[in-house]
Amino acid sequence: MRAPAIVAIALTAAVIGASTTGWILSSDDHARNGVIPTNMGYRGPAAVPLGDVAGAASFGAAISMPNPLGDDPMAVESGKKLFRAMNCAGCHGYSGGGGMGPALNDHYWRYGGAPAQIYKSIYEGRPQGMPAWGRALPADQLWRLTAYVSSLGGGVPPEQAEAALHGDTAGRTVRKAQDNAAEGGNGLEGQ
Amino acid sequence: MVRLRIALAIAGLMGLAACQPNDTASPPTHSAFARGTHGSFNPAPGGAPGDWTSQARDYANSRYSPLNQINTSNVGRLRAAWTFSDGALYGHEGAPLVTGNTMYTVSPFPNRAFALDLTKPGAPIKWVYDPAPSPMAIGKACCDPVLRGWAVGDGKLVYNLLDAHVVAVDLKSGKELWRTKMADVSRGTTMTMAAFIVGNKVFVGNSGGEMGVAGWFAALDLGTGKELWRAYATGSDKDVKIGPRFKPLYPQYAGKDLGLKTWPPGMAQHGAGSSWGFVSYDPELNLVYYGTSNPGPRVPSQRPGDNLWTSAVFARDADTGEAVWAYQFTPHDQWDYDGVNEMMLLDLPINGKLRHTLVHFDRNTYAYVLDRATGEVLKADTFAPQNWSTGFDWKTKRPIINPAKIPKVGEEVKNICPPDIGQKDWEPPSYSPRTGLIYAGIFNICMDLTNHKVSYIAGTPYDGMEMYRHSVDGKGGDWGALIAWDPVAGKRAWSIPEKFMVMSGTIATAGDLVFYGTTDGWFKAVDARNGKLLWRQKLSSGVIGQPITYLGPDGRQYVAVASGVGGAAMVQSALPGFPARGSTLYVFSVDGLDVNGGKPTARRGAP
Repeated sequence: MRAPAIVAIALTAAVIGASTTGWILSSDDHARNGVIPTNMGYRGPAAVPLGDVAGAASFGAAISMPNPLGDDPMAVESGKKLFRAMNCAGCHGYSGGGGMGPALNDHYWRYGGAPAQIYKSIYEGRPQGMPAWGRALPADQLWRLTAYVSSLGGGVPPEQAEAALHGDTAGRTVRKAQDNAAEGGNGLEGQ
Repeated sequence: MVRLRIALAIAGLMGLAACQPNDTASPPTHSAFARGTHGSFNPAPGGAPGDWTSQARDYANSRYSPLNQINTSNVGRLRAAWTFSDGALYGHEGAPLVTGNTMYTVSPFPNRAFALDLTKPGAPIKWVYDPAPSPMAIGKACCDPVLRGWAVGDGKLVYNLLDAHVVAVDLKSGKELWRTKMADVSRGTTMTMAAFIVGNKVFVGNSGGEMGVAGWFAALDLGTGKELWRAYATGSDKDVKIGPRFKPLYPQYAGKDLGLKTWPPGMAQHGAGSSWGFVSYDPELNLVYYGTSNPGPRVPSQRPGDNLWTSAVFARDADTGEAVWAYQFTPHDQWDYDGVNEMMLLDLPINGKLRHTLVHFDRNTYAYVLDRATGEVLKADTFAPQNWSTGFDWKTKRPIINPAKIPKVGEEVKNICPPDIGQKDWEPPSYSPRTGLIYAGIFNICMDLTNHKVSYIAGTPYDGMEMYRHSVDGKGGDWGALIAWDPVAGKRAWSIPEKFMVMSGTIATAGDLVFYGTTDGWFKAVDARNGKLLWRQKLSSGVIGQPITYLGPDGRQYVAVASGVGGAAMVQSALPGFPARGSTLYVFSVDGLDVNGGKPTARRGAP
């Protein structure tokens, strides 16, 4: 990949980081100020904040961001190599069926299954044992991993990211009967 | 022989103490022992016959109870007396403990402990202790965030947290007395085995054989939690605590620093050999026995050599940790067989001579009988179908490897039997001195295996095995069985086929009953003599825990078992009929009577 492209991707990653944090802070001004008319003629700050102060109704555009590598099959293929080389397969299964870690080929995503959300999970790590790969891998490789994970069968298209948060995604199938077992569950069992 | 008689006398006294006037079980007959056709075991540390104060009930790991109120004539009337949920939906692998009219049980992650008051109907909670382990540990545990048991001693409940700490809790108050950090969970060490108490010491070991950890076994001071010694499974003789007391019976164990030299340079330190199974203890020899896990990484071509001391058994001085002998069940373990399964300390007539033995059902499918003082191999018989070896070489004391079943990198090898989890995993068997038989839950499975090269990255799997597991008998075939094994003859006395793997522990009782559970949720009682099914009850989830039996404060015999599928049993989760997870402890008695005698304690409504 050429240098400008890498810079662009790195910038994109930075924007995601900033914006995903930012949406927590941004909210509707009226709600934030809590200025409400009352039938008592009182106009002033409310005792508790009202309205969509936590951003529950609007997640902003960040989670709908597409993978900058698009649907390049080469990105998916190199992502698969990384997935194995970085021992991701040891937890999530050689075809993403799960094991020590959650399955990545179904439609259950604790932290979201759209590309930007997958990227964020890989970058930051997650509390139940997922390491933070943002320290080890450059943004380009994180997007390749994202492309591979998105291709395993449960990936949420970026334009459906917000709908998925509400359970409104069309075209989903019932979760497959945990094929991690048939696939191996990997870590099982030597301890 | 003197010792045998003492053991029998103690067993006899225990049996008498447990007898109730209305007991209908045939009285124990000791003539069989006198004839030398049966074996026996040392029931130390003894204790009240109605209590169950350690996972295996005794140091020898017999899981035999002298109680016989519940027996072959009335077991059909067993009904639930009460139930209890600990709220944790992971695999429930431990046995509840009973002492002082209280039952102590600990949940899988987040490892909450509960004390239940057995003097009151329904056994209400006396206290709850929440250790709040790190959730990071969930994703570092290879095989479900389980806990295989806990221990009581010196007024304390002692157990391992998944995040590699050991805690001691006051039995009376539920207050934490000490907490000792044993390892850094972020680098892949978890702790899932049952702590084991002898005298003033607690013995613990680590898990993480898939994570490139260094395996160890350690002793802590029961009073303070201070670490007394720690012995590694790989590394220099100093690390392994091999010194002047070590007696290598076979030539492959003679030499300096074999825990380093049987590995490629630099690989022993991530070579695993963790210890996550049950521990046993011989009070006369003052030796503790435990097994070590598979070597890491699991891809054998990356670690040529015997990979000592992985997939092996150690006998160590309980006070100093010095190794006295060792034996490697699967040299250069290529299939993740481990050597962690329990060591049952039985005194058996082998070739007409009484031997103080250690009986071990390895995941590699051999049932070994070793002299527990020296490590001499006395017997090695296969207890289930296998094809990774073509026989046992008595000259080298190693199984002979079948070259067709050696794993290959990037290439699938079909139908290796057993698979990684063996034909029997950690689930502990029981032994009845009344029948001379061992009762073990086993598997009937194979795998198609593809290996992938791996690198060591701290805190991630150092693994490389891609597996597809299936029944030995093909699609629709059985995945498990319960077997009654004659350790003297080295063959099955009888067996009960099961559709699913049998991953529960078993117990044997003086009522000539054997209790076990199945991973699809049946809890069963069978006749210890012939395997005849006498009672069964479907529970809410699968059984992978260990039953116990005890006397309540009312003098009544109860049987308890946890229902909550998980752990390695999850390899079956794609099979039709596999149950959902659960978190319920079931306690049974004849007619379901509880401490109030079955009478409602609540006032009836006004007439």
